[in-house]
Amino acid sequence: MAKQNGLSRRGLLKSGFTFGVYGAAVGIAPRFIRPAWAQDGALAPGMIGGPTGFPGAERYQYGPDTPEGRAIEAAKAMKANGSAPARIVLGLSDGSIGQLTQPFPAGAPSVKEVWERETGIPIEIVGLPNGQEFTKVMQDISTSGGGYDIYSVEWNRLGDLAESGGIANLDEFVAAHRPEWDDPEDGYVGGSQGVALLNQYRGSTYGVSLDGDFQTWVYRKDLFEDPAEQAAFEQQHGRPLGVPLTWDDHAQVAAFFHRPDKGLFGSTDLRNQGWGYTNWYQRYVSMAAPNQFLFGDDGSPLINGAQGVQATREYVDSLAHHSPDAISWGWPEQYGNFGSGGAAMTCAFSNLPKFLDNPGNAGSTVTGKIGSMLPPGRQVEGGINSRSVLWYSLTGMVSAQSEAPEAAYLLLQWLGSARIYAWMSANPGGYLDPFRLSDFNDPLVNETYHEYHVKVLRETVARTVPTINYPGATAFHNALDESLMAALTGEKTPEQAMEDVESEWTRIVRRTGEDKVVDAIQKAKAAWPTTIDAMN
Amino acid sequence: MTRSPIFETFRYAAILIALAITLVPILWMASMAFKPIPEWQATGQNLTWIPKDPTLDNFRFIFGESSSNLIVALDRTAVQPIVASLLASVLGTLIAMTAGTAAAYGLSRYGSGQNLPLALLQLRLFPPMAVMIPVMIMWAFLGFMDTWWGLALIYGIVTLPFAFWLMKTFFDDMPREIEEAAMVEGCSRWRVFTRITLPMMRAPLASAALFVFILNWSDYLIALLLTTREWVTIPVYMASLSSSMTGQLYGAKAALGLIAAVPPVILGILIQRHLVRGLTFGALKQ
Amino acid sequence: MTLADAPLAPPVPPTPAEDGARLGFRLTLPAQVLVLFIAVFPLLMQLYISLTDWSPLAGVAWPRAWEFWNGFANYSDLAQDGRLWAALGRTALVMAVCVPVEFLLGLSLAMLFVDEFPGKRVAYSILIMPMMVVPAVAGYMFFMLFQSGGPVNGLLGTLLGRDIAVAWLSDPTLALVAVMIADIWQWTPLMFLILLAGLVGVPQDQMRAATLLGASAWQRFRTIALPRMKTIMIIALAIRVIENFKIFDTLYIMTGGGPGVATETISVYIYEVTTQDLIWGYVAAIALAILVILSVAAVWAMKRMGRAAA
Repeated sequence: MAKQNGLSRRGLLKSGFTFGVYGAAVGIAPRFIRPAWAQDGALAPGMIGGPTGFPGAERYQYGPDTPEGRAIEAAKAMKANGSAPARIVLGLSDGSIGQLTQPFPAGAPSVKEVWERETGIPIEIVGLPNGQEFTKVMQDISTSGGGYDIYSVEWNRLGDLAESGGIANLDEFVAAHRPEWDDPEDGYVGGSQGVALLNQYRGSTYGVSLDGDFQTWVYRKDLFEDPAEQAAFEQQHGRPLGVPLTWDDHAQVAAFFHRPDKGLFGSTDLRNQGWGYTNWYQRYVSMAAPNQFLFGDDGSPLINGAQGVQATREYVDSLAHHSPDAISWGWPEQYGNFGSGGAAMTCAFSNLPKFLDNPGNAGSTVTGKIGSMLPPGRQVEGGINSRSVLWYSLTGMVSAQSEAPEAAYLLLQWLGSARIYAWMSANPGGYLDPFRLSDFNDPLVNETYHEYHVKVLRETVARTVPTINYPGATAFHNALDESLMAALTGEKTPEQAMEDVESEWTRIVRRTGEDKVVDAIQKAKAAWPTTIDAMN
Repeated sequence: MTRSPIFETFRYAAILIALAITLVPILWMASMAFKPIPEWQATGQNLTWIPKDPTLDNFRFIFGESSSNLIVALDRTAVQPIVASLLASVLGTLIAMTAGTAAAYGLSRYGSGQNLPLALLQLRLFPPMAVMIPVMIMWAFLGFMDTWWGLALIYGIVTLPFAFWLMKTFFDDMPREIEEAAMVEGCSRWRVFTRITLPMMRAPLASAALFVFILNWSDYLIALLLTTREWVTIPVYMASLSSSMTGQLYGAKAALGLIAAVPPVILGILIQRHLVRGLTFGALKQ
Repeated sequence: MTLADAPLAPPVPPTPAEDGARLGFRLTLPAQVLVLFIAVFPLLMQLYISLTDWSPLAGVAWPRAWEFWNGFANYSDLAQDGRLWAALGRTALVMAVCVPVEFLLGLSLAMLFVDEFPGKRVAYSILIMPMMVVPAVAGYMFFMLFQSGGPVNGLLGTLLGRDIAVAWLSDPTLALVAVMIADIWQWTPLMFLILLAGLVGVPQDQMRAATLLGASAWQRFRTIALPRMKTIMIIALAIRVIENFKIFDTLYIMTGGGPGVATETISVYIYEVTTQDLIWGYVAAIALAILVILSVAAVWAMKRMGRAAA
C-alpha cells in the first residue's frame, strides 16, 4: 500500500501542476507526461468511456446504459448538434480542485481530461476560497455576474438558494437522463430518502451531491495501545483504556491524555465560530432515543430544555481538555495540530486519515498511527445512542444564469455517479469525500481513506443526523452559533444560551414563513437515523 | 543641544526596545518563510526562531515548483496575483494622485470645488464595507467585476481624499509670489502649474504617492468582494493558501508576505530623501 | 496640448479672474466626477433598498425590491440592534485606545530622533518597516504570535522567568487587546514619521536659545515646538482616527470578530450581516445611518479645523 501511494504521489508531482487557463507558467519546462490512455487506452469490452491506463481502471468505466454513459452520450449529442456550450464553468472550493485536475492513480488521466476527451466540452474550474463558497455564490447571484455554470456550496444552503431563484430546478433533466441516485446497490445511503436530503428541496431536485462530510472521530492508535498508557489509565480509573463509548468516557479519556505541557491535547473537536456548533449537535441529538430533535413537528424549538442545557454544559466543559486556543482554531489549525501529533482524539471530516495517515505527506508525524472510532454516545434504554452530523458537504448546483443548464447538469450527473465519483473521491488531491454505497466498497477509496477508517465511516454514516437544511438555515445556525460562542467564552450561562437560541429561532421561523419551515422540518425528519448500538 | 550621558543611555535603551518590538512580527515572518512544514506547527518548548532546517521550498511552492514536503499542488501560482496587485495599486495611485493633485490646486489657487474638502472627507470616513453591495452591483453592471482596472478605479477613488488633502495643505502653504512672477512674465496659468508649481512639489508628491500606494497595496476587503478569480490580489490569494495536508500553509503565506513587502520598501528607499519634508503637510507655521 | 490652449477658448480674451475660474473648474472636474460616480448610484440604491426587506435570497433582483416594501421598519430596527451598537461602541473603544497610544509612542520616538546619533538611519529604517507589511499578512503572523504556545507567550515567559500560556485569541478581553496591539504595531510608525517630519521643522536655533535661557525640556517643547506642530498633530491624529474607525483586515484574519463578538467592530459587523445574514435592506439602513453620523462628525471636524487653522 505504501509503495502504491508513493507511486501515485510521484505521478502527482510529475504532472500535477496545471496552471489553469489563467496561470502563468514561469520558466517551467513542459512537464506534462502523455497520459497512458493515449497509447494503450483501451476500454474494457462493452464500455463506452471512463479512465484507463492503470490496473483496475475497468471498475470506473461505464457502458451506454449507465448514468455516466447517458450523461456522456447526451453531452456528445449536444456537441454534435451545436447546442453545447463553449465551456462549462465550475466554481469549486480551492482545496478540491486537485481531485479533478490531478491524475490518479499513476498512469491515469485526470477526471477533467476524461470528460473533455469524451465530450469535447472543456471544463473551466474557478477556485472558491475555502469557507467563502457561499459568499462568492451570493456575489454572483446578486450582481447577476453569470460567472459560473455550476456552484458548489454547502449542502444545507440548498433551501435558501432554491428560494432565491439563483439555482435552476433540475427535475426535467433528472427525468430525461435518469441518474439512478437511489440505486440500492451503489446509490445514496438511505436510498430515495438520502437523495431527498442531499439533492432536493421540497420535492424538486436542485443539486447533485459531490461530497460526504459525515463528521468522523479518529484517535491516536499508538497512544491508546501503548501498554504504559494502558496501565496508567487502569490504575487511575479502575477500568481498561479503550476508545470512549459515551460522552462521559470521552471526557475521562480526554482528560487522561491532556498534557498541554508536552504538546498533547485530549480532544480537539472544533469549538470555533461557524464550525464548532456541529460538535454541540452530536452531544445534543444523542440525548434521546432515537433522536433528540431540534424542532417539534409544529415548528417550535426544543432546545431550551434539560437536554439542551446539558449538551451545552458538556460542550463548554470539554474546553478543559482542548487547546487553550480552541475557540480560535479552524480546521486548518486542527489538521495541522493533529498531523504534528498534538491531539489524542478529534472529530473531523472523513478525509483526515486520507491526508494525515499518508506516507506521501512528509509533514505528518502520525502516519500509521491513526485509528477511527464511532462518535461517543449516551446510554439509553436498550443500548448506546451515538450520533454524528452531516456538515458542510459540497453539493453541485446549476446556476440559474447558466446558458447551458443541461450541459452543466450532465457534467454533475457524470461526476456524481457511482463509478466516476468513487474514482474521484479516492484521489488525494482534494477534500470531496465518499458518500455513496459504492464508494465505501471501492478498493481505491479503501486504499486512500484506509480500510480501518472506511469501516467506521460506514457505521458513522448510519448514525448521522443532518444539520438544518430548511429555508433560513443560515440564520438558524448563526443564532445557535452566536449563543454557543457566548457560552464558551463565559458571557452566557448554558441556560441563558439556550433560552436566547429559542427566542431567536422562534423569530426566524416566523420571519421565514411558518408553513414553509414546518413542512421542511417534517420532511427532513425522515432522514434522521434510528440505529441504536447494543451494549456489550 | 547638550547631550548628557544619561539621556544618551536612555535614548538608546528606548530605541532598542522599540526596535525589538517592531522586529518581533517581522522576524517571525522571515523565519516562517524559510521553515519546512514540520516546524510550522511547533509550539511551546519546540518553538524556534531560527529554522532548524532552512529551506526555499515555500518560495518555490508559491511559484508553482513542487517541493519535497508539500504534495498539494497549487491550482495557480502567486505570479498573477502579484501582477494584479501591482497593476491595480499603481494605476489606482495614479488616478488618486492625478485627480487629487489637480483638484487640490484648483481649490487652493482658484477656489473651485468648495464642496470637495467635506465630500472627500466623508468619502474617506465611510467604511467601504457599508457601500460594497451597491458597488458590487454597479461594478458588475459596468463589466468591471474581476478586472484590474475596475479594482484600480475603486482604489483611485477611495484614496483620492488622501491625495487631495495632503496636496492641498502644501499648495495652501506655498508662497504665491513665484507663481505670480511667472505669470507676469507671460506664462499661462496651466504652464505655471505644470512647469513651476509641480516640480517644486516633488517631495510632497513623492510622499503622498508612497502613502497612497501603501494604502492600495494593503487592501484586502475591497479586492475580496470585487474580484473573483482572474485578478485576485495578493491578500486575497493568500487566504487560499491552506491545505488539508498541513492546515494553513503558514510558510507559504510568510514567503508571499516577504515578497509583498518588496514594492513598498523599494518605493520607500527611492523617495527616502523626500520623506521627511514630504510629510510635514506644509503645516509648519514659521 | 494643454487645456488652457484648447481651441474652445473664446475669441475675446477673458479677464484673469474668469480665466482662473475656468482652469480651477477644469482641474477639479476629475475629482468631482469620481466623487459623483461613487456617490450617486450607491446612495440612491441604498436609500431605496433600505426601505424594503429585500435580500439576495428574495428571488427577485434589487430593482424589484419594492415588492418587499416595509416602510421604515429597518430604521426602527436599528435602535434595537444591540449587536450594532455594541460593535460601534467597541470600534470607539479600539480607537480611544489605539490612536492615543500610537500618537504618544510616535511622538516619543520622534523626539528621540530629532538630532543625529550613530545608527540613526538604520534604526529609522527598521522602525518604519511595519507600514510596509501587508495587513493581511500581519494578520496571519499575529494569529501565530498570539497562540497559547506561540512566540509572544514564549518571549513573555523568558522575560518573566516563568511559563506563560495565555490563550490570547480565545479570551474575549485579551483578543481585543491582541488586535489593538497589532494595530498599534502597524501604525505607530506612521505617527512617528509624520511627527518626526514636524519636529525636524521646528527651528533649532530657537530651541537652543531657549535652552540658554534656562528653559526646561518640557517648557521648550510646550512653548516652541508645540504651537508649530499643532496642525500637523491634528492631521496625524485625524488620519489615524479615520483609518482606525474602519479597522478590518488584520483584525478579521486574526479573530474573525470573535471569540463570539468580542472583537466585532463596525466593519466586521457589516461584513457578517452582509455575507452571512444576507439582510441587505437592513445593511443599507445601517450604512445610511452611519453616513449621517459620520457626516455630522465631518462637518464638525471641518469647522474645528477651520478655526484651528485661522
